[in-house]
Amino acid sequence: MSEMSVSVSAPTVHPGSQPLPEAPAKVTARNLNFYYGEHHALKNINLALGTNRVTAFIGPSGCGKSTLLRIFNRMYDLYPGQRATGQLLLDQTNILDPKLDLNLLRARVGMVFQKPTPFPMTIYENIAFGIRLYEKISKSEMDGRVEKALRGGALWNEVKDKLNASGLSLSGGQQQRLCIARTVAVRPEVILFDEPCSALDPISTAKVEELIQELSENYTIAIVTHNMQQAARVSDKTAFMYLGELIEFDDTSKIFTSPTDRRTQDYITGRFG
Amino acid sequence: MAVESNVIDAAGPYDRAKALSAFKLGDVTFYWITRLSAISVLLILGGIIISLIVGAFPAIKEFGISFLWTQRWAPSADPPVLGALGPIYGTLVTSFIAMLIAIPVGLGIAIFLTELCPQWLRRPIGMAVELLAGIPSIIYGMWGFFVLGPFLANTFQPFMISVFDGVPVLGAIFAGPPSYLSLFNAALILAIMVLPFITSISVDVFKTVPPVLKEAAYGVGCTTWEVVRSVVIPYTRVGIIGGVMLALGRALGETMAVTFIIGNSFRISSSIFAPGTTISAAIASEFAESDGLHQSGLILLGLLLFVLTFFVLAAARLMLMRLETKAGK
Repeated sequence: MSEMSVSVSAPTVHPGSQPLPEAPAKVTARNLNFYYGEHHALKNINLALGTNRVTAFIGPSGCGKSTLLRIFNRMYDLYPGQRATGQLLLDQTNILDPKLDLNLLRARVGMVFQKPTPFPMTIYENIAFGIRLYEKISKSEMDGRVEKALRGGALWNEVKDKLNASGLSLSGGQQQRLCIARTVAVRPEVILFDEPCSALDPISTAKVEELIQELSENYTIAIVTHNMQQAARVSDKTAFMYLGELIEFDDTSKIFTSPTDRRTQDYITGRFG
Repeated sequence: MAVESNVIDAAGPYDRAKALSAFKLGDVTFYWITRLSAISVLLILGGIIISLIVGAFPAIKEFGISFLWTQRWAPSADPPVLGALGPIYGTLVTSFIAMLIAIPVGLGIAIFLTELCPQWLRRPIGMAVELLAGIPSIIYGMWGFFVLGPFLANTFQPFMISVFDGVPVLGAIFAGPPSYLSLFNAALILAIMVLPFITSISVDVFKTVPPVLKEAAYGVGCTTWEVVRSVVIPYTRVGIIGGVMLALGRALGETMAVTFIIGNSFRISSSIFAPGTTISAAIASEFAESDGLHQSGLILLGLLLFVLTFFVLAAARLMLMRLETKAGK
């Protein structure tokens, strides 16, 4: 209840993390609403993801975090009955434009899922597959791109001798980093992480978090997480969502030390959710 | 009954070992029933093989290995000459053409149903495919005889001849006088008959692909075709090949419809529009009025079909293993 209990039990923000200067917006949502059929799942969301910043989305299950993420690359389009209204811009492009080329959008906005999703092919092919969709390049060039992507996914040293093994033969943590490498290989501008560590052990989690930090130098990142320490560790800005509404959106250090809204405070101190 | 609570209460202090012993007899019975069921399969299979070999023995002794490549089938000659080349050729060719048609069409239907089809169209098409499997084979035979045969002979074959006339190999495949009864007619009917197997099994296995895996593929920017080709089909290839094998087994052994429309000619012709015969059709059409060596020869044909099916299935397994090594398992 008191300020005291907040500072005791709230996760600590990574040391030396001064809030970075405000970055230009990469993705901008204005009055964004989302419906699963009749169900109004997201209500009037207004926020902006800063370029080359990490934005974390926290909130209890069912609050709409993942739903929001799935609007950013129009993944919801695969399912009938789901629709979004309002405005959502990627730079100047209207993401919600029905005439938008979805394949190109998804190349610009990559996604990493909760469970590792390696494709049923070799490690090499898992990476090369995505590249081949957009570019025709020679074998040697492709080798270079695959290596670069696997290094980007902090996986190269572990798999360089077995690139022809099945992607499914890797451990869960390695599979997840393979998926990150695969996403990076397509050279997106934005990467969406939907609870990327919830199926991973602590060591793999640490590796993925480190990776997210590194990636944020070149990519705009949005991450949904149930782990508040994780949000505190990796993100520059944090959005707290509750029942389909964006309750509070601010610098991560501010959210975790002195949130303005009562519900944010209750959630991060573990009083509900 | 014995473990109902009032019974246990009546027996005084709760005795776990005693309560469990009531299940023991059940467990043993269950074990033996399942075990005998499993063993009975081996017994039946063994029995069939043995009786086939015994029945075929006179023919094996008379014709030996040359039975396999003799084309002449003259049971009433003196001495009788029997050769299996015609039926073996017919069986392989009709099944091959049938699979050539049924695999792409069946997979196409399955992909459309699971990935592209609007919701309201899904049930009608799905049900039509299932109904196709329920049509008795004799009806396919009659339809092939009265409808498909005339169409093929009067319209399709002349068209193919006009297109491929003079082309070296293809010309010979489509050449010949028109005939309602032909290998190609039988193959088409077979293709329609095995279509539901391929489609319904493919639909079932396509549904096992985790949605998140497909989303991941869409997430790197795949089109539906790329998702199907690179994720859905590789992920489900074992199931698909299983369905194809089931269909192939059916095609190799299908009797009634084929007997109706294949023409029962033991001569091998280069043209697929010529009459031919298959192993099962030969047996079905001749067995009733055969005796002695002739009958033994027909049983030997049956044994060959058995072996042929076995080899085809074995080859399929081998192919599957190769595929898996290639995919880096």
